[in-house]
Amino acid sequence: MTPGHTANASTPAKIAGRDIWKIFGRTPERVLERLTPEQTSAQILEQTGHMVAVRQVSFDVRAGETFVVMGLSGSGKSTLVRCLCRLTDPTRGAVLIDGQDLLQLAEAELRAVRRHKLAMVFQNFGLFPHRRVIDNVAYGLEVRGVKRAERLERARQMIELVGLRGWDQHFPKQLSGGMQQRVGLARALAVDPEIVLFDEPFSALDPLIRREMQDELLRLQATMHKTSVFITHDFAEALKLGDRVAIMRNGQFVQVGTPEELVLNPANDYVAAFTKDAPRGKVVSAAAIMTPCPPGFDPDGQPAVRADARLEDCLALVAAHDGPVCVRDEAGALAGLVDRLSVMKALIAA
Amino acid sequence: MTTRPLARPWPAPLQRYAPWAVVAGLFALAAVWPADAAQFPAAWNLGLRAPIDEFQSAVIANRETIPVFQYFFDPLSDLIDVGLRWAEDFLLATPWIGVVGTGALLGYLLGGTRLALLGGLSPVITGLFGLWEPTLQTLALMIVAVGLAVLIGLPLGVLAAASDRVDRALRPVLDGMQTMPTFVYLIPVLLVFGIARVPAVVATLIYAVPPMIRLTSLGLREVSPPALEAARAFGSTRWQLLVKVQLPLALPAIMAGVNQTIMMALSMIVIAALIGAGGLGREVLVSLQRLQVGKALEAGLAIVLLAIVLDRLSEGLSRIDLTDLGRALLAPAAPRWLPARWEPAWLAAARVLRRAAAMPAQWLAALTRRPEIERYAGLVNLGLAVLALVLVDLLFNVGTFPESWRWYLRQPTDALVLWLRDNVFEIQLGALTVGTGPLSDFVTLYLLNPLRSLFTTFLPWPVVVLGAAALGGWAGGGRLALLAGAGVFAIGLLGMWPFAMDTLSQILVTMLITCLIALPLGVWSSQNNAVRDFLRPVLDFLQTIPSFVFLVPVIMLFNIGRVPGLIAAVLYAIAPGVKLTDLGIRGVAGEAVEAAHAFGATRAQTLAGVQVPMALASILLGVNQMIMMVLAMVVIAGMVGGAGLGLEAVNGLVRSETGRGLEAGLAIVLLAVTMDRITQAWAARRQG
Repeated sequence: MTPGHTANASTPAKIAGRDIWKIFGRTPERVLERLTPEQTSAQILEQTGHMVAVRQVSFDVRAGETFVVMGLSGSGKSTLVRCLCRLTDPTRGAVLIDGQDLLQLAEAELRAVRRHKLAMVFQNFGLFPHRRVIDNVAYGLEVRGVKRAERLERARQMIELVGLRGWDQHFPKQLSGGMQQRVGLARALAVDPEIVLFDEPFSALDPLIRREMQDELLRLQATMHKTSVFITHDFAEALKLGDRVAIMRNGQFVQVGTPEELVLNPANDYVAAFTKDAPRGKVVSAAAIMTPCPPGFDPDGQPAVRADARLEDCLALVAAHDGPVCVRDEAGALAGLVDRLSVMKALIAA
Repeated sequence: MTTRPLARPWPAPLQRYAPWAVVAGLFALAAVWPADAAQFPAAWNLGLRAPIDEFQSAVIANRETIPVFQYFFDPLSDLIDVGLRWAEDFLLATPWIGVVGTGALLGYLLGGTRLALLGGLSPVITGLFGLWEPTLQTLALMIVAVGLAVLIGLPLGVLAAASDRVDRALRPVLDGMQTMPTFVYLIPVLLVFGIARVPAVVATLIYAVPPMIRLTSLGLREVSPPALEAARAFGSTRWQLLVKVQLPLALPAIMAGVNQTIMMALSMIVIAALIGAGGLGREVLVSLQRLQVGKALEAGLAIVLLAIVLDRLSEGLSRIDLTDLGRALLAPAAPRWLPARWEPAWLAAARVLRRAAAMPAQWLAALTRRPEIERYAGLVNLGLAVLALVLVDLLFNVGTFPESWRWYLRQPTDALVLWLRDNVFEIQLGALTVGTGPLSDFVTLYLLNPLRSLFTTFLPWPVVVLGAAALGGWAGGGRLALLAGAGVFAIGLLGMWPFAMDTLSQILVTMLITCLIALPLGVWSSQNNAVRDFLRPVLDFLQTIPSFVFLVPVIMLFNIGRVPGLIAAVLYAIAPGVKLTDLGIRGVAGEAVEAAHAFGATRAQTLAGVQVPMALASILLGVNQMIMMVLAMVVIAGMVGGAGLGLEAVNGLVRSETGRGLEAGLAIVLLAVTMDRITQAWAARRQG
């Protein structure tokens, strides 16, 4: 989640979605059997009255990675995240968590997974209005059967972690929206889950509070590295938080990639429409736009930036320096050059 | 909108002329039918009475040897009896200031100072009337019946919320239980439980349980989905979900169910007394039978007080909204009547008081090292207060309400009755005699009697049956026509034809008078806020007090006969008519009214041309409710000389002629269901 933190591609997937389908209607299985790949979701809706919410979605989320699913309303993103914890049962497909298919689990086994591995943060917070903040935060531990003193202690720690010290005896109604979502976050973290599912957690908040909460989340993730699936309709938020971002439309993934890949190489016009206004300086790295060193270039004494530095962070240096600026990889070896022109071109998306 | 029903029962051209053709046909039939065969043929009587009575005697004779009684009903009966006795003994053993103090404390906790006064003073007043014991007996009956209703209703409500199938199965049963006049339960209950206090509890329980089930189910189904989803996502079991999330969040609805259950149970008090329950109901009943109006009034007032206190207390319970916690904890506002400069002092005093109130719980928490006790300061204080009351009683030996403290209403009331009988019953104004007596005679001679003879002698029975069918068909189509016709026909088969026609004539006259009063009042109230504000508490009062209490003042003025029952029914039924008319007219969209004004309609034109037609569905719903309430009074009217089905049912009960009572009860149900369905279909038709 921190810029540059990307899980090693060779680690096995923590969460894997395989061919996930979700169809809403009276006889979803039958509709799915008869469906042909050419039929669009709109046609299916018209012909059968069934709503295809998620259509053959497959993906891997690696341990510690933040995987963002971005889509407009009605794209099926909320349904997808509910399929991942079986709040909604997929019509077909597999949801593998550590290689174990969630859909094959019996009720009790599923409950065990929900209690110990997963936690979820909701769009409208999903707090329990009749419980104080501390009892909301302790809920996951309570249903798990943790002793009262122990769970309250843990809850108190989490409340401090999200910056709500002193509010533990209040009721959700007495808190602002941002504070309520901090409670939601603390509640999810209290069970020390391996995976956190975020369903548009900040959509209901004011823009300023939203930014504050995004930074808060980045701060927490920098130390905790929870495997996360984050749903949003805000492309800027997706770029800011995601190690990888999937763009979803009509129940399908249009493109999956790092924010940089999306911005530099949008797969089609639909993705390009989002990337047009993207804050490129925060997304594109020096490595992505550098040119190879001309032969005989002497890097000694020239200023240098790291290969994974974002353009925004190179700007001051490039602006102050007339010549090319060196780009060095993690080992310090010279990888290429950037100059004012290439940076400006990249920033205005020429 | 109002002229075109959504679903046409008949094709369009028929729709227009068919009603007139049907009416003409019925007239023709009435004309040609032989006059001596107007009554429903006696030979067609199914004769249910004898087998039922035989069944009952068989049951009574072999009670000890029938397994259902041996292993189910008798133990159940014993259990209820023990519970009732226990509750009664407990209440009667409580020193009177304990009862008064508990009432005041509960009132304070649930509603503040005013409710504390009400809760504390009401028992004192009943004590002053000399009704201390019967009041507590009735309270014990209420506690047991309502407690059982909650014990039964809550799980059933949970099941109905959890499973659509259970919900679908329960719904018609609950509908039926609420449509049927209360009396009808009594007969089968008597068959099973014998005559005593137990069947009274059971009948009350059956009557009062539906709102508990309904509102529990409704509350659970309406719990906000986000909280539920979150609870599921964290791995709650179904039981955890129910206990930790759903039930707490559904609490206001559940408590509203308890409130309604209490009110319905209270309305059964007098009827329960008919089959052997003691308490206030018996006091009313006995005084009425002996025409001791003053005594009946006192007992009636005690019932009203009990009803109001229990209503307000349980309403206070339903205001405990766990989903709205936090709001209430914000700074306490000073009351509006307080001058602004006193506000700081008020707030400071409130702070000190609150700190003092929190102290016992804090001490207890420190003492036991359980910090969570601090949260339950209210309960701790309540416990302390009860303890203090017990101490006072131990020290000063208070005991039951002192005999020497009496303040009777009965002598002045009886004097007033005599005065009224002498002065209001008949007044000579020149050649004209007015007063309640002549009014009563007028209603009897010119409304009740002609209508009764119309139904019993002039209209042959097939005309009535077919007329009901035609009405049903007009309101709701073929199926309803069949239902209405069959319903009325079945009344004949029960052998209840003449009684039912008598009752029908009374119901129609009552409805005529009720509509003539309620509908204009409703329209007036919708046009004038002052009128509405004046009427609201009056109507609430009429709806809160048990139906029987109406009879007391009415009998004062109108002697025994069909008229007092009629007037009591009118009083009882007026409230929903006024309320729904007012609501319907006020609910008419503002644009429609503005449009009418914009075209220059006068206020009367707007009312007659726009508001009333648009509100017709709501008004008809009010008419439906009024009919149901009038029907609920049929039996009660029967007790004070109303004759008809009510009298048959009462006689069946009182003389324990079960077969007779059951036949009359069934006839009342048939009449009720038929009229309910027809008026509901009519209202629904207007909705389109």
